[in-house]
Amino acid sequence: MVSAQSAEVGGPTRRRPPLPVKLVIAGGFGVGKTTTVGSISEISPLTTEADMTSAAAGIDDASQVPGKRTTTVAMDFGCITIDESLKLYLFGTPGQDRFGFMWDDLAIGAIGALVIVDSRRLDDCYPAVDYFERLGLPFVVAVNRFDGAVAHDLPSIRWALAVDDAVPLITFDARDKLSVRDALLVVLDRALAKARAAQTER
Amino acid sequence: MTSDKTPTERTAGALVRPFLSGPSDGAGGADGAGGADGARGSRGADDRADAPVPDGALRPFLLTAGRVAGQDSIAIETQVVTTDSGRTAVDQLGFERRDIVSLCGNPLSVAEIAAQLSLHLGVVRVLVGDLSADGHLSVYLPNADASTDVDTLLRVIRGLRAIG
Repeated sequence: MVSAQSAEVGGPTRRRPPLPVKLVIAGGFGVGKTTTVGSISEISPLTTEADMTSAAAGIDDASQVPGKRTTTVAMDFGCITIDESLKLYLFGTPGQDRFGFMWDDLAIGAIGALVIVDSRRLDDCYPAVDYFERLGLPFVVAVNRFDGAVAHDLPSIRWALAVDDAVPLITFDARDKLSVRDALLVVLDRALAKARAAQTER
Repeated sequence: MTSDKTPTERTAGALVRPFLSGPSDGAGGADGAGGADGARGSRGADDRADAPVPDGALRPFLLTAGRVAGQDSIAIETQVVTTDSGRTAVDQLGFERRDIVSLCGNPLSVAEIAAQLSLHLGVVRVLVGDLSADGHLSVYLPNADASTDVDTLLRVIRGLRAIG
């Protein structure tokens, strides 16, 4: 637990921590978020409890004042050490059924998001897609090939999700480390393109 | 459990959170009496400080005296390291505070602290804020621009490509 074996000299900055960056792994219940994190994280996925504000969405939308409430949810996460001064955290959003989520804690300051989709239950990912679109966070929709099969072809899925053509739509296998890595790289490509565009605008 | 901010004032009264100080159990006897009693609600007469508190008996924000706000700047990926002052003071800190200071000999994120100590994320935020204010922890707030910085993104891409 306590690791105070290193030399007791120098100021408090002698063990300067790495710069943390984070990526959000989103999607509905049981789409493979924790599996995705676990496939590539260097630590077994950790779980912590946090508060989330949820706004009733979908069916309850008829009311002009959506009910807001705070729920405590479990959140899984993992990390990848990029180098000694940079560490990538992967935060899985808690699965939300028919509640839109407003997880600003996770999303603000994030590089981007991977929205995982089960092709048999496409509507589970609508809240996540809506949320990241509204926030302007770079995101990629990734269809998890659970059993090697995808229930619909990608153009049909894109049509059903009504995501912009610019949003990459890929398939991947949440259990496979390299497949997860490649999916994350697609998110990074999106984020990089956006960062470069912002840079040239200046 | 409880955790006293000022280790020198170890009176029973000082250990009891304002909203927990209902029926007084008298001397209290030892560290932790306040928190344990609070967890049992009205059955405050039991002053056995060492009695194990069953899981889930404590509402999470009892540990922070009910404070939930004020530390919004501490993002979940914020890195935390124990300072020399924290190492010196660790034995005088109570319970969760001591656990956090003990745990952060090497840098950890707020999320990792919460997970390893099975504490609510919001609770850890408040406690880390307190410990930082007391000089026991160094808190390195993440650089807000890192996620949109081209060089940082290129480093992440290189790092991910190196995974094989």
